[in-house]
Amino acid sequence: MAGVTLKNVVKRFGSVQVIHGASLEVEDGEFVVFVGPSGCGKSTLLRIVAGLEDASEGEIEIDGMLVNDVEPADRGIAMVFQSYALYPHMTVEQNLSFGLRMNGNPREDTNRRVQKAAEILRINELMKRRPKQLSGGQRQRVAIGRAIVREPEVFLFDEPLSNLDAELRVQMRVEIARLHSELGTTMIYVTHDQTEAMTLADKIVVLRDGKIEQVGKPLDLYDDPANQFVAGFMGSPKMNFMEASVKSASNGSATVKLVNQGGAMITLPVSDGPAVGDRVTVGVRPEHFRAAGQGDCDIDLNIDVAEHLGSTSYIYANTKSGEQLIVEREESRSEVGLEKLTASIPAQQAFLFDAQGKRLN
Amino acid sequence: MKPQSEMRSKSSREMIRTIGLHAVLVPLAIVWLFPLWMMMVFSTLPENAIFSAQIQWLPGTHFWANFEQLQADTGFLRTLFVSIMVALVYTVLSVFLTSMAGWALARYHFLGKGMVLAIILGTLTLPYFVVVIPQFIMVARDFGLANTWFALIVPPLFNSLGVLFMRQSFSMMPGELFDAARVEGVKEWKIFLFVAMPMARPTIAALCIILFLASWNNYLWPLLINNQPDMMTAPVALGSLIGLTRVSWGGIMTGAVLLTVPMLVVFVLLQRHFVAGIAAGAIK
Amino acid sequence: MRARNRIAYGFLAPYLLIFAVFWIWPIIYSFYLSFLSTRAVPWTWAPHMNWGRLWIDPAFWNALRNTLVILFIQVPVMIALATLLAVLLNSQLLKARGIMRFAFFAPVVVGEVAYAAVFRLMFNADFGVINKILTGVGLPAVSWFSNPTAAMALIIMAVTWRWVGYNAIIILAGLQSIPDDVYEAATLDKVSKTKQFFFITLPLLRPIILVCVVLSVIGTMQLFAEPFLITNRGGPGGATETLGLFLYRQGFTVLNFGYASAVAYTIAGLAIIISLINFWLGRDPK
Repeated sequence: MAGVTLKNVVKRFGSVQVIHGASLEVEDGEFVVFVGPSGCGKSTLLRIVAGLEDASEGEIEIDGMLVNDVEPADRGIAMVFQSYALYPHMTVEQNLSFGLRMNGNPREDTNRRVQKAAEILRINELMKRRPKQLSGGQRQRVAIGRAIVREPEVFLFDEPLSNLDAELRVQMRVEIARLHSELGTTMIYVTHDQTEAMTLADKIVVLRDGKIEQVGKPLDLYDDPANQFVAGFMGSPKMNFMEASVKSASNGSATVKLVNQGGAMITLPVSDGPAVGDRVTVGVRPEHFRAAGQGDCDIDLNIDVAEHLGSTSYIYANTKSGEQLIVEREESRSEVGLEKLTASIPAQQAFLFDAQGKRLN
Repeated sequence: MKPQSEMRSKSSREMIRTIGLHAVLVPLAIVWLFPLWMMMVFSTLPENAIFSAQIQWLPGTHFWANFEQLQADTGFLRTLFVSIMVALVYTVLSVFLTSMAGWALARYHFLGKGMVLAIILGTLTLPYFVVVIPQFIMVARDFGLANTWFALIVPPLFNSLGVLFMRQSFSMMPGELFDAARVEGVKEWKIFLFVAMPMARPTIAALCIILFLASWNNYLWPLLINNQPDMMTAPVALGSLIGLTRVSWGGIMTGAVLLTVPMLVVFVLLQRHFVAGIAAGAIK
Repeated sequence: MRARNRIAYGFLAPYLLIFAVFWIWPIIYSFYLSFLSTRAVPWTWAPHMNWGRLWIDPAFWNALRNTLVILFIQVPVMIALATLLAVLLNSQLLKARGIMRFAFFAPVVVGEVAYAAVFRLMFNADFGVINKILTGVGLPAVSWFSNPTAAMALIIMAVTWRWVGYNAIIILAGLQSIPDDVYEAATLDKVSKTKQFFFITLPLLRPIILVCVVLSVIGTMQLFAEPFLITNRGGPGGATETLGLFLYRQGFTVLNFGYASAVAYTIAGLAIIISLINFWLGRDPK
């Protein structure tokens, strides 16, 4: 069992810098998820922890030991790859035991570990098959099994579910959560899917363009995002962003005009006072809109598409000047076919960001 | 929907096209098969039948007698043995050398990689004649190794097409497979031997066939470097008979058949690999 | 991928050693040799001797002329035939596809000596099956080995028989990499089969045909075994002597290595120039 520490890790490929000084503490036994859009450097960061890439600068510690110059195999890690990386010419059993066999591990011990992994993942009947004869979900199990067999201190997952269809993805997500609670081992998990991050993580690390934007518990990131990027990335459907300009600012609050809502005004509490005339962005999550008159600022919307899901409905709507918004409402059968809607923004649940995306309240 | 008459005309057009196609291809195919057929026929005829005034279209029964004549002229069995041994050892060695080099060029970053690749590619199309003279001087005079197994097997190992062929095969494999093995602590040479090589089996099969065939049919270099009867290859021994005046042509034809038919059988059985190997040689 | 110099060179070392000793070093050494007088031991530095002799040696010019004649007749004929064969063999309408492919591809595995022997016997002036067929249909017999033009034609036919299938295999692979839907779209646009060939197939095949041409040029520049064996050392009277055969004589009969090296570099230079001209002619139109 071990924690992982990154100190100012920088990675350059030639002259291109892809990781800009990442520092991070992963506690022993914690499930940490690296999340961000594609190309944000999350997989590179994971491969640096694995030792498959060298850090250009900075330090990587596993279990308190500096491992920059330690070979991947000696870091006490095991990795599950996006493509599963199963050896196509070996049976499931041979795939599971390959690493141990190649390193001269005693046969009984190898068999014991393979057996145990097979039981944990319920793949006993598949042992004699080749990867080609397995379904996507079964391949995924074998790939995880190969990691379990190593009895690692730290599990690394590189987008392990991205090749599965939606239903299997949910199923395997539950499996991985169960695995973590059974084994209690430190796990670092990379994904671009914020739902996976929210459901699996003890701690989420949001990355963008090679920088760590925010680290925190899932609901903390949701409720209290540090900036507009994190606010927009976490949550599905996404947070609505509305252009606005500051009309007046006083101690602890600011009144802004929603540019595309026909001049509707709203007063929000702020900690960091913007100046009058500043361009800002108001953020409201779809589920925070209230019925007309029940919030602090009513806006009129033309409904584009309404998705009725039975218990909730998502309204995709336009303002007069064409800004797109998503409103989540409790389902009401009488609203089917509605063309217009007035929604209201509650000031206490709205976010305010400056032009650089920095949070102001 | 088209009228029925036009639909019928479509199938009749196809019929005309089919007939035209075969009217061109069948005669050509017969012309192309003719020399091979005549080789078989000649090898089974006695000398006076080969040089008779009549055309002999069908095989006779003299194959064994002709072969005995060939064996008496050249000791052909010994030269066949030399050819088989050389082709086998050459193929195995060359597959390993080119696979290892192709693996390094496909899957590692290292200092001087660009230069190594540039030299291999840059000298690929240089005619063999540019090197054959120094090779001969070096092997025959400087090393004193004419008429040895070494002389037949080692110099032709420089072949760089195999390197590029294997390199392409290895670079098309997903890198995560090798990373997975690395994370498991598998040594690089074991990854090469137990992961990469088994996965490259189809490519290796194609390469083996091409290499074996090249060695089996190699003529110029063995002609130059090995001229002692007990170290001659079969093509060289057979070639040495062709210019002579008093010689058994039936015997020469049995030799030609023995050199050709095994390769034809291999070709028929492994046509897919053959075609892959030849096509890959041209597509760089 | 991490940088791993030691491991990479470990894998490369055996091959690089062979490659350096038997390929790179000879390339350099034969260039050096071409500036030596090697007619008597010890060899002496004589930078103008071999290269100067090339210009005035009628035997060299004869071999060069013969090689170029073969090149300019045989290569275009063979490539055109190979393209035709590839297209026909790729046809959906073809019956007995396996036998057809075997007929044209089989010569690829036949060794130079074996086919040279058969051709020599078949084209024998007095007893050869070819002349028997010619006279049988009322044509005059041809003196294949004593008439210079006929001997040249024989070499061209033999080389074409041996190599057309090889090129057809390459072009066929190129054909099969053209997606079907391109043709389906053209058919829906009412483009005839013939027009499809000239306006879709040929342009898409151009790079691969170019490769075939260049490979054939390099091969023809080195033509050796056919005139050596079929027309009996370039006969009649040097009428089929090629550069390859001339080099063989100078290098390994007379043992004048310096002069042979100059010939070798001339062959290489010509092959490169002709290949570059081909690439220039066949370049992608802007």
